[in-house]
Amino acid sequence: MDQNDHAAIRAVLSGDKEAYGALVMRHSRSLFRVAFRITGNEADAEDAVQEAFLRGYRRLESFESKSSFATWIYRIAVHCALDRIQQRKGNGTSRVSDESDPELDQVQVADEAAGPDRLLLSGEIGAMQKDAMHGLTATERTAFVLRHMEDCTTEEIAAVLGIAPNSAKQAVFRAVQKLRRRLENLRVKI
Amino acid sequence: MKHLMEEQLIEHFYSKDKTGAPASRHLESCADCAQAYAALQSDLAELEGVEPPERDEAYGARVWESIAPSLPIYEMRRLGWMRGWWWRGLSYAAACGLLAGAFFAGRFWEHRQQPQPAVAKAPASTPPRLVVVVLSDHLDRSERLLVELKHADAQDTQMISPLRDEAQDLLAANRKLRQEAQKTGDPAVTKALDHLDQLLTELASQPDGLNAAAITRLQDEMNRDGLLFEVRVLRSRIPNREQERTSRPNGGTV
Repeated sequence: MDQNDHAAIRAVLSGDKEAYGALVMRHSRSLFRVAFRITGNEADAEDAVQEAFLRGYRRLESFESKSSFATWIYRIAVHCALDRIQQRKGNGTSRVSDESDPELDQVQVADEAAGPDRLLLSGEIGAMQKDAMHGLTATERTAFVLRHMEDCTTEEIAAVLGIAPNSAKQAVFRAVQKLRRRLENLRVKI
Repeated sequence: MKHLMEEQLIEHFYSKDKTGAPASRHLESCADCAQAYAALQSDLAELEGVEPPERDEAYGARVWESIAPSLPIYEMRRLGWMRGWWWRGLSYAAACGLLAGAFFAGRFWEHRQQPQPAVAKAPASTPPRLVVVVLSDHLDRSERLLVELKHADAQDTQMISPLRDEAQDLLAANRKLRQEAQKTGDPAVTKALDHLDQLLTELASQPDGLNAAAITRLQDEMNRDGLLFEVRVLRSRIPNREQERTSRPNGGTV
């Protein structure tokens, strides 16, 4: 796979734009999965995937052939997904403050979220988890998604986020602690 | 008995090799911790998250169709890019030639003026004077760029656009200097230029201009890595090197 990717990159850099199509088709689905897990919705995930491939194309000259294209484009996609979250925050559509105060955690679930009664009635456990995820900072959320759902190692998370391995580890710890606290609070309310 | 902290339980949960680990042994003998660990496992099992909706085989083709029209063909783009760089490279080469000429003329003049004592070679690890001069200039420009980026208003696109152009200008020089630093084995310079390279690449490779989110992220990255401080420290070292060198008679000979 890597050999195919590298051959396609060489072709693109020699002027064969269509060769990039093969890379896009090969990696789109895996990028969509991680982008969806970070952004939490399909539209943002699809935008992040497109943006990742656009950025990737424009930076292709800086890609070092020693590394894997899959890892490289994955990293770009994670950043694009993070940008989407930031943009959503900027547009005021974020439901929960990223830098939430632990004391305020219990009251920061936004109005549009399902209330505890509705959660119980409709059995929307998924919505409860989604609310819990929204209480994390972008870094914590991404670190948790990569660790818990994508099965990345601490070193891989650190490389993707461009932070030290210890910071990546701490981000995962904080994410798990916050999620557990929030779920506990929501369970009590139910 | 000392119980395991929540962080240790989380670390154990995610560790690949649990058999024989100290945490495993403790969990076998401590009911309280085993109970806490079971609760953690249960919570984390609940947090598997919503499975991403499956994308069909044609998804990749749709993504490609949507982005392909906006992608320029590489060689054409490269030619335009190279034309700019050719002139820029020529100017650099001319400036470097002038500097080198002045340097050797100066050395020749000093040799003529003073009878020479015993001559020893400068240490092999010392970078050439020309590199020091170019590096100093490069760090000056980089520092100015970082300061502007630090104080940039993410919403002001007119202010952001020159930053991207400047980053594109600095990127190639930065790579050359980093290679030079790697050759001369200067880890501090290599590390700083490496960090700088990452930021310049990010900054330079935003084709449609930088959006507010990207600027905010770059500012965060820059602050987190202490890049500006790193560049300032490095820059402050350069004049000292120059001083050391100029304080020696005949620019590097003793």
